Amino acid sequence: MKTVDEVQKKTKAPIGWDGKTLKEMRAEIDRVSKETGYYAGIKDLTFKEEDPIRFEKIFSKLRGGVVHARETAKRVAASPIVEQEGELCFSLYTPEADSIVTSTGIIIHVGTMGAAIKFMIENDYEDNPGINDGDIFCNNDNHVGNVHTCDVHTLVPIFWEGEVVGWVGGVTHVIDTGAAGPGSMPMGPVQRYDDGYQVTCRKIGENDELSKDWLLESTRSVRGAKYWTLDEKTRVAGCHMIRDLVLDVIREEGVDNYKRFIREIIEDGRRGFVNQVKMMTIPGKYRGVSFIDVPFEGLDLPKFAQQNSIIHTPSEITIHKDAHLEIDFEGSSRWGWHPFNATPVSITSGIWVMLSQTLVPNDRINDGAYYASTFGIPLGSWFNPDDIRSAHSNTWHGLVAGWTPLWRGLSRGYWGRGFLEEINAGNAHTSNWLQGGGYDHHGELSALNSFESAACGVGASAVKDGISHSAALWNPEGDMGDMEIWEILEPLLFMGREILPGSGGAGKFRGGNGWQSLRLGWGAKEWTMLVAGAGAMATDCGLMGGYPGAAGYRFSAYNTDLKERIEKRLPLPLGGDTDPDYPTYEKNMNAEVVNRDRQAVTTQEEFDDYDLILNYLRGGPGFGDPLDRDPKLVEEDLNDRYILHRYAEKVYGCVFTEKDGEYKVDLEATKEKRKQIRKERLERSMPTKEWMKKEKQKILNKDASKQVQLMYAESFALSEKFTDEFKEFWNIGDDWMIYEEDLNVTKLGRHINRFKNNA
Amino acid sequence: MAKAQILAIDAGGTMTDTFIIDENGEFVVGKAQTTPNDEHIGLMNSSKDALDQWNTTVEKEFPNLLAGVYSGTAMLNRLVSRVGLRVGLVLNKGMEDMHRMGRGVQSYLGYSYSDRVHINTHHFDEPLVPRKWTVGVTERVDLFGNVVIPLYEHEVEGAIQKLIDQDVEAIVISLLHSYTYPHHERKIRDIAERMIKDQNKNIKVFATVDYYPVRKESHRTNTTIVEAYAAEPSRETLAKLDQALREHGTDFNLRIMASHGGTISIEANELARTCVSGPIGGMVGAKYLSDNLGIKNVACSDIGGTSFDIGLITQGDLDIESSPDMARLVLSLPLVSMDTTGAGTGSYVRIDPNYGNITLGPDSAGSLVGVCNPESGIETVTVSDCHVVLGLINPDNFIGGAIKLSREKAYQAVKEQIADPLGMSVEDAAFGVTELLESQLRNYLESMILGKGYSPSQYACFSYGGGGPLHTAGYTKGLGFEDILVPAWAAGFSAFGCGAADFEYRYDKTLDLHLPEKASDEEILAAGKELQAAWDELKGHVGEEFKKNDYTGDDVKYRLFYRMQYQGQLNDLEIEAPISEFKSVNDYYTLVKTFEDMYTRVYAKSALSPELGYSITGAIVRGVVDVPLPKIPKEPLSDETPPDSAFLGTRPVYWDGEWIQAKIYEMEKLLPGNKLDALSIIESTATTFVVPPGFETYLDEHRIFHLKELNQ
Repeated sequence: MKTVDEVQKKTKAPIGWDGKTLKEMRAEIDRVSKETGYYAGIKDLTFKEEDPIRFEKIFSKLRGGVVHARETAKRVAASPIVEQEGELCFSLYTPEADSIVTSTGIIIHVGTMGAAIKFMIENDYEDNPGINDGDIFCNNDNHVGNVHTCDVHTLVPIFWEGEVVGWVGGVTHVIDTGAAGPGSMPMGPVQRYDDGYQVTCRKIGENDELSKDWLLESTRSVRGAKYWTLDEKTRVAGCHMIRDLVLDVIREEGVDNYKRFIREIIEDGRRGFVNQVKMMTIPGKYRGVSFIDVPFEGLDLPKFAQQNSIIHTPSEITIHKDAHLEIDFEGSSRWGWHPFNATPVSITSGIWVMLSQTLVPNDRINDGAYYASTFGIPLGSWFNPDDIRSAHSNTWHGLVAGWTPLWRGLSRGYWGRGFLEEINAGNAHTSNWLQGGGYDHHGELSALNSFESAACGVGASAVKDGISHSAALWNPEGDMGDMEIWEILEPLLFMGREILPGSGGAGKFRGGNGWQSLRLGWGAKEWTMLVAGAGAMATDCGLMGGYPGAAGYRFSAYNTDLKERIEKRLPLPLGGDTDPDYPTYEKNMNAEVVNRDRQAVTTQEEFDDYDLILNYLRGGPGFGDPLDRDPKLVEEDLNDRYILHRYAEKVYGCVFTEKDGEYKVDLEATKEKRKQIRKERLERSMPTKEWMKKEKQKILNKDASKQVQLMYAESFALSEKFTDEFKEFWNIGDDWMIYEEDLNVTKLGRHINRFKNNA
Repeated sequence: MAKAQILAIDAGGTMTDTFIIDENGEFVVGKAQTTPNDEHIGLMNSSKDALDQWNTTVEKEFPNLLAGVYSGTAMLNRLVSRVGLRVGLVLNKGMEDMHRMGRGVQSYLGYSYSDRVHINTHHFDEPLVPRKWTVGVTERVDLFGNVVIPLYEHEVEGAIQKLIDQDVEAIVISLLHSYTYPHHERKIRDIAERMIKDQNKNIKVFATVDYYPVRKESHRTNTTIVEAYAAEPSRETLAKLDQALREHGTDFNLRIMASHGGTISIEANELARTCVSGPIGGMVGAKYLSDNLGIKNVACSDIGGTSFDIGLITQGDLDIESSPDMARLVLSLPLVSMDTTGAGTGSYVRIDPNYGNITLGPDSAGSLVGVCNPESGIETVTVSDCHVVLGLINPDNFIGGAIKLSREKAYQAVKEQIADPLGMSVEDAAFGVTELLESQLRNYLESMILGKGYSPSQYACFSYGGGGPLHTAGYTKGLGFEDILVPAWAAGFSAFGCGAADFEYRYDKTLDLHLPEKASDEEILAAGKELQAAWDELKGHVGEEFKKNDYTGDDVKYRLFYRMQYQGQLNDLEIEAPISEFKSVNDYYTLVKTFEDMYTRVYAKSALSPELGYSITGAIVRGVVDVPLPKIPKEPLSDETPPDSAFLGTRPVYWDGEWIQAKIYEMEKLLPGNKLDALSIIESTATTFVVPPGFETYLDEHRIFHLKELNQ
């Protein structure tokens, strides 16, 4: 027997179109799109063809409105991450959560917010908790498909006469999520339960109003409640502006036309993307690989997480003859007890961030592009964990490394087509992430997460140097911000902000330079700091002979004598760490502890007034052989302090005379020197076969560090294809293998293993 | 013969235009080649050219002039072409790269949205001060004004000497948080000035705090560098101009158009703010006009060859942007805020080869018009080509026939590049392009007004500029503006604006007054005291400036403004204080209420956050003195029917799917009181005004057309 309530619940009309539920609509879209090869089965763009002007007018109204909502709403925020760095994004969806148009900003979230809406549809939110006009939902759950906990989504359904006509999503990168460490991307979390406050697609408001219990609980769950609150207001305000805009368009155009439009614009996006791929690239396979270090040994973490390892990400772009784009990451490392794991949505959706900067730099990007591509994301790998316990707070550490071969792969395609200006040698490892928390200089419980990393060096193209200190892979509209603004948020005084010579990768065209900020603890009480960046490894490798950007390191100093030195007006450590091989900071102070090493990720350390910490923002990779660089440009770089003298000689093969600190390149001597270097290169070289023979012996002997062995062991355990290719390439017999269990590493979390026949 | 009253000078890079306005608001325009080395020669030639049209002379008319306003592009050109003074820069030691690193945002300022994400297109311009002329001195002050590292005075002389030895012509000093603790900058300034004097050098020293004492070091430093680099060299030019005018009998204080929409004396302390004077003339003109017509809220729109500019006048005030950008530099000047989109009549129209959609701009043929201009060499269709195809502009009477346009060429180009790929007729494609442009402009205009928290029905729309009136009906359609005004004297509107600008100084100061939601009376009064002290200080500055032109206390009308936000926010709102002096706790609550009313309008009620407490982040004082301003022309009303002499005949125009015989009128010959219905095209040398189906227009006694949408 059913109760009255249950019967009534059943009889509540579905909120989808034509009496369907959203779940039915979602399933239909997937089925029809798959069967026909066209989004929603739309073979003919009848609206666009019959009335192209009207179609375009609707598009420009929606797109313009979404962009405008972002610009207006962000002024509500207190966080410089949102307001100054633009780390927010709004996107408009179909009822089934396919993206129609999106604002500028962190457009990786086109996919992640879509995933959240799909999650609600899949879990019958329509029945419980119910989806009603005026509802507000929140999500930041990594395992629903978010990038990391600090990207908080606000999701609002749009109703027209009782039907859901769409969703609007807004996301901001908040400063803190109450994780095991302070900041938005902290070191410390190694499991989901350390990642901080996670909200799983929760209804947080009705009738356009946030509920009190939500406001209280959420603000008590994070550090820096003020930033959290105003970020949320930013998102809600933007979502409501966009909802009004959509209703306005429907009133103007009629709901049926709106429905036609949103289907066609996605199919239109799919076709446009295909055409763009056809125009810019050449069919074939483009392979690459990236590595990033996880130096966790000895950190303040559970024993099983205290392990040094390497995340290995091989990738293969296949451009099919019909311009279908396929990206496969077969052979990637296993997920691990670190916060660098990712979800499939974040890597696939994030790829659009990159593609929209080169392949499709226009405003038509929507889920159509997604329907024109396929991704291979192996289960159990670091971006598809098979365990809900995985931590994700600093996903970008892995993502920015994993994507850099994709720039290079596509660039080879552009090269083949002659789009030399579009070539990009890769991206900087957008770090360091300088983070901390405690009671700040305003006496408030707060956290900091410097976003100076939004202004790293950019990879070189085939016609010019990469631009310096200006952008990040995840935000082409990068900016380092004003120091006076950062100091409002951060209890750290700037003691320097300076371009780092040599940080941009050498090449015929140099990678954009990175830079450094030196910060002095000042005014906080009970404050801790941590850093996160690439240290031991360069994550990119440059293109066509170009060098990678310089690798990372850390510098910090505790219990210094700076106070006394200031009183005595003695020289202080100021500016950048210009030549880390010959450091000057230490000459201008005494400190009980000086950390100057490759340990570029750390967990929280207490940080007091007069302690020092360096924020090093990386440079981009170079393009082409440095010996081909115009010597006059090398001279300019030297005089402008973009490179150090000894590398101008050694790497670029230039010879200089110097007068009053100004260098002048000697063209004749340079020509000779370059000839000499080329000769030495030849002398040093050996036939490939010979080199391979030596390398093969090393492989057979397992003559590699434990981290390298583990990296391969994980790839072998997860992928037969990768193993077969590896063995075939090196011509290695069946009996040779490296197994994880032989390497004395934690067994926790190593589930999928084809050697144990449980995959 | 009327008497010349007001002289407005617009000295461009190649031509100097003078506008001389008489006592009835009538004006003449003179033109002459700009003489960059001696600008007064060009000015005199141009004035002569203007007065010739009234059959009179400089000698006769100049002594009658009551006021003169200058605006010129010399400073901006100096900045853009990087030919300013050799400036040395003194920064905090360790931050010597700060200026050349700029702000990342400067690598894509002024870009279209597409190019903003297109990373390989980004670039930085050369820094105004090279690294080698930058020196550092050790000191640090925190944001509260606490000295953390005292100024290492022993480093100062060496640093300054280094700059002197480099033969710099000016020195700019900028230290972090100097807006809250000015002493270190001033100390360095004093040392530098003493050294310069001792060494008999002629180097002017600029401490940022003496010019732009506001937060954000990149903005403040850039602005002060612009002051030294580009503005300072103009002082001599302006003095010479003033002298030349006086030698010809004038007896007024020559003023310059400034970024905040007022004019300032050529002797003003801060001249950098006159760099940007050009494009805001129209806004200032619109403000003057609306003041006189009693209109409070105005949306100003101006379509030129390359862009669509809009700006708002709200409650009688021009919107001011306090951290604007110009010439790809972030600045801390108060600038009349105008939004620009790269969509003008010269904008290129293309079909995206891969997406198959029409794209407009952002690049344009500018003054070359389009394919229809046989002399131009342009091959890509522009919006103007579509106008020609549609018959909206007369190919034989474009800019008074100065350029003969070819309809045939335009037709072919639109056919091949737009119509055929879209499968449309040439006329429908051309009409579609104008519709799309107008729809984009309409969205843009609407979202800007909504973004201010108002609706278009609370605004009147002013349309001027060469391309504006052609599209006015299109981009205002359906928005429900209170009124739509098109001055029949659109051509001279910008110059009229310069002549109509107030003599006004504006000074800003950053404050950091933080109060909790439930502040105690003591806290409120302490904050109020500081706010009032800032207002007093700024009033002092304004008063000092006016003294240079012999105005005293009572002559100056002061207006007080404050900036307020919720604690921690990074954007504040600029609000006119509804009080004349801070006296009591109640005054504070008045300020809070005024802030929250405005905040609710702009960001919606849900964004109110009193629980965070309030911050007063800035004080602003504006001071105005009376100066003679031009009259708005006023003519007697005549019949609704236009005189025969104004009627030029008919011409077929393609409009929304059909050819219609449009009535063509000559703008200058229409009389106040005339009423025109659709489809009318009103032509003048500088513009074409279209009254399409669904609209009618009426010319009022001030020679302003009112465009009315029927069935509204």
